[in-house]
Amino acid sequence: MLEVVNLSKVYKKVKAVDQVNFYIEPGEIVGLLGPNGAGKSTTIAMISTLIPPTEGDVLLRNENVIKEPTKLRKILGVVPQEIALYGDLTARENLEFFGSVHKMSKKLLKERIEIVLKQIGLENEHKKLVKHYSGGMKRRLNIGVALLHEPQYLIMDEPTVGIDPQSRNHILETVKQLNQESNTAIIYTSHYMEEVEYLCNRIYIMDKGRIIASGAKEEIKSILSSEKMVVVKFNRHSNVFIQELMDLPLLSNINVKESEINFTVAKDTNLLPTLMTLCEKHKIVLNSFQVEEPTLEDVFLHLTGRALRN
Amino acid sequence: MFFSLIKKQFKVFLRNPSELLLLLVMPIGLIIILSFALGSLWGGSNGETMEIEIAVIQHEDELKQFQNFIVEAKQTIPMTEPLLESMKSMLPVSILLDQVLNNGETQEFVKVTKLEKSDLEDARNGGNYNAIIEIPEGFTNDYLTSVFLNKNAPTFQVYLNESEQMTSVVIQNILDYYQYQYSLFTELAKNQLLTEEMTIPTLDITSNIKTVASKDPITSSTYYTFSMSVMFILFLAGTIASHAYLEKDSHIFDRIILAQVNPVTYLASIVVSTVILTLLQIGILFLVSYLIFKVPFTNLHLYLLITFMLSLVIGGVSALLSSLNYRTNSAEASNIFSNAFVAILALLGGSFFNISGISPVLAEIGLWVPNGAALEGYLKLVQDGSFSSIQSIITNLGIQAFILILVAFLLFPKRGGIA
Ligand SMILES: Nc1ncnc2c1ncn2[C@@H]1O[C@H](COP(=O)(O)OP(=O)(O)OP(=O)(O)O)[C@@H](O)[C@H]1O
Ligand SMILES: [Mg+2]
Repeated sequence: MLEVVNLSKVYKKVKAVDQVNFYIEPGEIVGLLGPNGAGKSTTIAMISTLIPPTEGDVLLRNENVIKEPTKLRKILGVVPQEIALYGDLTARENLEFFGSVHKMSKKLLKERIEIVLKQIGLENEHKKLVKHYSGGMKRRLNIGVALLHEPQYLIMDEPTVGIDPQSRNHILETVKQLNQESNTAIIYTSHYMEEVEYLCNRIYIMDKGRIIASGAKEEIKSILSSEKMVVVKFNRHSNVFIQELMDLPLLSNINVKESEINFTVAKDTNLLPTLMTLCEKHKIVLNSFQVEEPTLEDVFLHLTGRALRN
Repeated sequence: MFFSLIKKQFKVFLRNPSELLLLLVMPIGLIIILSFALGSLWGGSNGETMEIEIAVIQHEDELKQFQNFIVEAKQTIPMTEPLLESMKSMLPVSILLDQVLNNGETQEFVKVTKLEKSDLEDARNGGNYNAIIEIPEGFTNDYLTSVFLNKNAPTFQVYLNESEQMTSVVIQNILDYYQYQYSLFTELAKNQLLTEEMTIPTLDITSNIKTVASKDPITSSTYYTFSMSVMFILFLAGTIASHAYLEKDSHIFDRIILAQVNPVTYLASIVVSTVILTLLQIGILFLVSYLIFKVPFTNLHLYLLITFMLSLVIGGVSALLSSLNYRTNSAEASNIFSNAFVAILALLGGSFFNISGISPVLAEIGLWVPNGAALEGYLKLVQDGSFSSIQSIITNLGIQAFILILVAFLLFPKRGGIA
């Protein structure tokens, strides 16, 4: 088990990571979800022993790895948020370079390169210089380099930012496969909750350096289980009308977007009659009324009052 | 693993035509342009063969003085036939004119003109001669007296045209040699060796003069070959340091650290690949100059020695710049170096013109910048070609390399990370 305890990182003015607790079991996929600047990358850099924490510990099977990082580094693969590749080398040359830096034997490296190229779907384009690759291909190779030495733990920092849906699907499938076939434990960082929802069993939600929610996917969603999301549409509305709507004690988290208004209400309230009465009074027509299943996005909104992506 | 780090560096270099352009094509272009454009400014020493014009003004005939001396000396020294012969063969003016200035070797480049007393003023003002030798009245008589009767040796006057450096160096060497021979006779006589039945040893004047004469004059193409090479080699250090920063910025360095490579090893790979690339860059530039300008490179191994020492210094510079880049987490150090500092170093090191003419202090500083020291070393080799002439330069370069590399390793951060 890889575990971090009360991890904090303070830069001159910013508390980038604040008392984070976190663990991952072998063979698990854990999601780390958070908006820009939440502190995901900083947390990852500390877990992977690249920067020292201001406070707290990183433990591998209960052994501290901050002072003695060798054991962890041997079994750890890191996919950085940036494309950490040589644009002037081909995919194969990049793999050869990083493999030999890992002191892999020539023979093993050769075998692994073939396997990895297949895994990331670049077996036919390994002769191209990386700088001529599409964004998606670069992302895939960025992952491939971290797989060469068959790590037991893989940390992926936003591996799908800025690429086309096809490449993105390919990467998600690769990640799933890797976990199922090689039993690799994966920490998957993202600000796309649908990716995390698709891949991960357990999820941590991070904001402003802190973990604001954690647990299995269902547990997290059940944070909202006492409430439901309602989206309503009117033919028109006025300020007075909205004000009266807001004054209703049943509603919370009201959000007005042109003709559409959404809010949460307690699960067992019957809101419709109240709403109809209000409409009648203001001569407004209710066009649609929809109750929705909560998503992680809603959880995030519920917890922070802000949207995950802006 | 170390080898991979170096191999990668080379591949990245070879695939960057714009950098190769800066490091190879630019200096070659500049060497050619400057050599032709400024060649005429280098004046007299630009030619292939050296012409030395010497005027000799002799105030009194030598043989007549010799006769007078014999008459006088007879009273103190027994004059035997062999001694007379010896004396005859050591007449100083004849030796100077026939053996020193007009032997087989010197004939090719020294032209001696005999002038009258009255011509002296004109000759001195006219500047047509590289040197004027004025031999005073009674010189031979005084000389023989000094040798055989232990009196003070007489002197003659030499007017050197200092404006032509190379030739005046050659003349000084010739005269030094003459002086040496002169005092040898005196020693022989003092030890009574000349009174024996012996022949005057024929001294090997020629070999000495030959080395002096074969000192190649520094032509503009030679000068710019070296000055441009040592200047553009500085850009190599800047370029490698900026590559190193890119590796940090793109988190490639993190990957290297995570692969358990010691940061010290990484920095060492920067030094070593810089050294190899420096040797290659200078090698190519020198080869081109050799082919185009026939820059001679006699004593090639000494050129290699300087180049190797220079490459260590450049390795130190690129390591230091890399360390600073890593410390400041920006490419600023290497950018400032390439964009501004190289120009200052080039100026101090005499890459544009010989700065020692302006101020001796600047000249001294110039010896403590890598390019200045190396340039000085190369030029010394062109003129002299011996190890002893570049010994202090080698020490200078060694000290610079040591300090730079040491500071670089002390400054280099020991972890990766997004900091
Ligand atoms: N070296 C640093 N010096 C100062 N502040 C830093 C440094 N690195 C990160 N920060 C700050 O710490 C906070 C967390 O940054 P971090 O990169 O970990 O966020 P993130 O969750 O990875 O965001 P993103 O989704 O944009 O990648 C940010 O406010 C950032 O500005
Ligand atoms: Mg990040």
